[in-house]
Amino acid sequence: MIVGGYRIELEPRLKSPRWLVYVVPVVSLLFAFVVAGIFLLGTGHNPFTTYGKLIDKGYTSYYGITDTLGLATPLICTGLAAAFAFRMNLFNIGEEGQMYLGMIGAAWAGIVLADNLPGVAAVPVVMLSGAAFGALWVLVPAVLRARLGTSEIVSTLLLNYVALNLVNFLIFGSRTLWRDPSPFPDGQLVADSARLDRFGTTNVYPTLLIAAILAVFLWLFMRFSNYGYETSVFADSPNTARYAGMSASRLTVSVLLSSGALAGLAGSMYVVGPAGKVDPGLLQVGLGYAGIVVAALARYNFVAVILTAVLFAGLRVGGAALQISSDPVPIAIATVIQGAVLLFALGGEMFRKNRLRVRRIAGSPVRGAA
Amino acid sequence: MNASPEAVKGSHRSGGATLFALSARSVTKRFPGVLANDDVDFDLAAGEVHTLLGENGAGKSTLASVLCGLYRPDQGAVLRNGTQVRLSSPRHGLQHGIAMVHQHFRLVDRFSVAENVVLGDKRLSFFIDQDSINDRVSRIAEEFGLPIDPLAVVGELSAGQRQRVEIIKALYQGAEILLLDEPTALLAPPEVEKLFETVRTMAKAGKSVVFVSHKLGEVVDISDRITVMRDGKVTGSVGRGEADTRKLAELMVGREIDLSPRKAKAPAGGTMLKLHNVSLHRDGVAVVDNVSLEVRAGEIVGVAGVSGNGQRDLAELVAGLQSPTGGVITVDGREMNGAGTREMRANGLAYVPEDRLGTGLSPSLSIIDNMVLTRPRGLLVDRKAAGAEAERYITELEIKTPSPHTATRKLSGGNSQKVLLAREIFAQSDTTKVLVVCSPTRGLDVGAVETVHKVLDEARTKGKAVLLISEDLDEVLTLADKILVLYRGAVVHSADSNALDIEKVGLAMAGIS
Ligand SMILES: Nc1ncnc2c1ncn2[C@@H]1O[C@H](COP(=O)(O)OP(=O)(O)O)[C@@H](O)[C@H]1O
Ligand SMILES: [Mg+2]
Repeated sequence: MIVGGYRIELEPRLKSPRWLVYVVPVVSLLFAFVVAGIFLLGTGHNPFTTYGKLIDKGYTSYYGITDTLGLATPLICTGLAAAFAFRMNLFNIGEEGQMYLGMIGAAWAGIVLADNLPGVAAVPVVMLSGAAFGALWVLVPAVLRARLGTSEIVSTLLLNYVALNLVNFLIFGSRTLWRDPSPFPDGQLVADSARLDRFGTTNVYPTLLIAAILAVFLWLFMRFSNYGYETSVFADSPNTARYAGMSASRLTVSVLLSSGALAGLAGSMYVVGPAGKVDPGLLQVGLGYAGIVVAALARYNFVAVILTAVLFAGLRVGGAALQISSDPVPIAIATVIQGAVLLFALGGEMFRKNRLRVRRIAGSPVRGAA
Repeated sequence: MNASPEAVKGSHRSGGATLFALSARSVTKRFPGVLANDDVDFDLAAGEVHTLLGENGAGKSTLASVLCGLYRPDQGAVLRNGTQVRLSSPRHGLQHGIAMVHQHFRLVDRFSVAENVVLGDKRLSFFIDQDSINDRVSRIAEEFGLPIDPLAVVGELSAGQRQRVEIIKALYQGAEILLLDEPTALLAPPEVEKLFETVRTMAKAGKSVVFVSHKLGEVVDISDRITVMRDGKVTGSVGRGEADTRKLAELMVGREIDLSPRKAKAPAGGTMLKLHNVSLHRDGVAVVDNVSLEVRAGEIVGVAGVSGNGQRDLAELVAGLQSPTGGVITVDGREMNGAGTREMRANGLAYVPEDRLGTGLSPSLSIIDNMVLTRPRGLLVDRKAAGAEAERYITELEIKTPSPHTATRKLSGGNSQKVLLAREIFAQSDTTKVLVVCSPTRGLDVGAVETVHKVLDEARTKGKAVLLISEDLDEVLTLADKILVLYRGAVVHSADSNALDIEKVGLAMAGIS
């Protein structure tokens, strides 16, 4: 780009200094708030008081942070799901649908199986059932990708719409075991033994611990296990993986199925936690798609997903609270902030890898003959 | 800055009064952290082919870029016909008749050959007379032996053809001095020969050529003079007839280099690898055609041949990466047909592929992680053992790296090849019986070539059966005890190294028997 006699260029950094890894996200976040602040000013709100309220309702007040942690719980799982696939350069965009299937699978086990199981086994079985349904939902895209090279981006995305309609059908369009027999369309509650108690009067469930432990476990597992090693070789250079005798299709299918299982687990956390049923209300929340954003913000690091999920959930919770405060701010503002955070985080990534150089153009610009 | 020509140092050539077409005087050029050119003197006589020889990173491209006007020297001067010129851009260099053909071509893919040639020509009026341009391009092409269709689209041309376009462009622009930066790097041997003819023709027509190369083998014939660089400095300059490869190698590397033939010192043992009528058909074509060969313990069997005659498929068959459509492969007495590469390895086979960084190594992974790539691994990867091993080979093979945690793609070609050899040859040396090695020295510096030769020779002495598949005939002749020639997937010639008719080998490589 040329501006008034200066040439502005991005050039790759030979080495990214270590501190940039920490500074860039913080600066990106600040920029995002500045941009959203301009929107706030434009709509007649004081950005500082609005942000103050947002932070209070999202993070610092007792019920704010507990609501945030509750919402972050399934979001950690969908974030892990997206990160897991992406580490092998696979783009699972279907967390949303896999999460619905997880909900359906968990509810099925909770309704049909739980009463026949010993008490301690009920919750684990219900959650595993949800994970299995989530994994099955990605089986076809995974096999198509492994055998025919069909883009998993398109196939997993398309299945989201199928899953959405499936939930609508189960609850609104038919009479199945998932639907409560009462005339009002709603999901049938699972057995009591299949549900966990929340902590006190908060919206936090023990599933939060499960999600956090899972994140740390995945981080350790992918770092030190042979499976993690093989996926990183494959992601880096498929030819090298083939040379070393690794099976590309086995790795592709297993990674996508694991990713689907993690997203399914997110759905089952709703069932054993707050919802206790197939809850059509979940369809509005978009936690599957948000998981992709959370994973990208975490730069596909499993442990960082915990932090970005909490950050993201807080924006949601705080944003929703602003709507019903004394000086109501449209929910769109919270969405603007979320979008701005993502954009600047990705933009910041560019500055971590490149640096800006401004040069005086000496004499007349040399027209590129070559 | 040294200003006037009188003030600068004299040439290293005796005879004093000669006026050189182009000279560099005490040129110094720094890049962040490197002194790319350190007080360099260089003289190019008119009508001379002058080779600039040196290992990768020696500073050859930098010097050439200074000479053509792309870089301005930090210190020192460039002289054209004895007068100092301050070149501000390649275009300015061109006004002085100096043109450079870069290592990486700078052509527009969508344009035709003729359009690329005239691109940037300010003499042309707004309306271009297509026919006269095509004519001129054809005339230059014919005069200098650069066959090309002026109407062909550049994006569809081979590397060799693109290079011709670059040279034609330079000549069209009126270049008297051509700087060719590593022009043979992308060429197949017959194309190299053609390029050399063009270079000779240009010299005869009174043009001067600076020929940049790091390949010792190819430069002696073509050059009137060879100037050698190392670590940014000129280490010597020899005229035609004074050049001897041993001396040049020493100037390049800074120590004595031994690239003399190495042969088995003891008689070979039992057969370790045997191929019997092995074929591979793909899309109805036999890419490997009825190949039979034997490699015994303690010998190197060399497979020579021009690139693209089935070498890679043959190697992959032996390594278990592809299954033959016919024939039998036996390793250490066991029939291995249909065995995958892991089984092959379990049975004592190691494989060094030609594409070291994109196949043999995982480029973004560390040296340590690459050490365990072809090993059996448990549920967890044992990086402690791998780390100790990596440290050991870094010392033993003098692998230049900041640390064993460095990604292999950050290493130079020679050093990444050493990592690969360490893993495939040393690390499992007690269980490995058969080594399949493909073009192990391609693109490497002389010093690294010597190490690779030494490593392969040692493996042979230790009783390994080595199958060396290489497009570099010299390499095969230097190392192999038995030589086969592969042509269109078939073995068309075979001979013992002590009863070898080189002419026959050459003809066989060209498909004439
Ligand atoms: N544009 C550049 N920026 C920074 N370093 C460079 C640049 N060009 C070359 N170098 C460094 O200068 C040294 C000499 O490079 P070069 O002239 O390209 O060597 P050669 O052509 O002999 O391989 C190397 O260490 C190289 O890394
Ligand atoms: Mg170079």
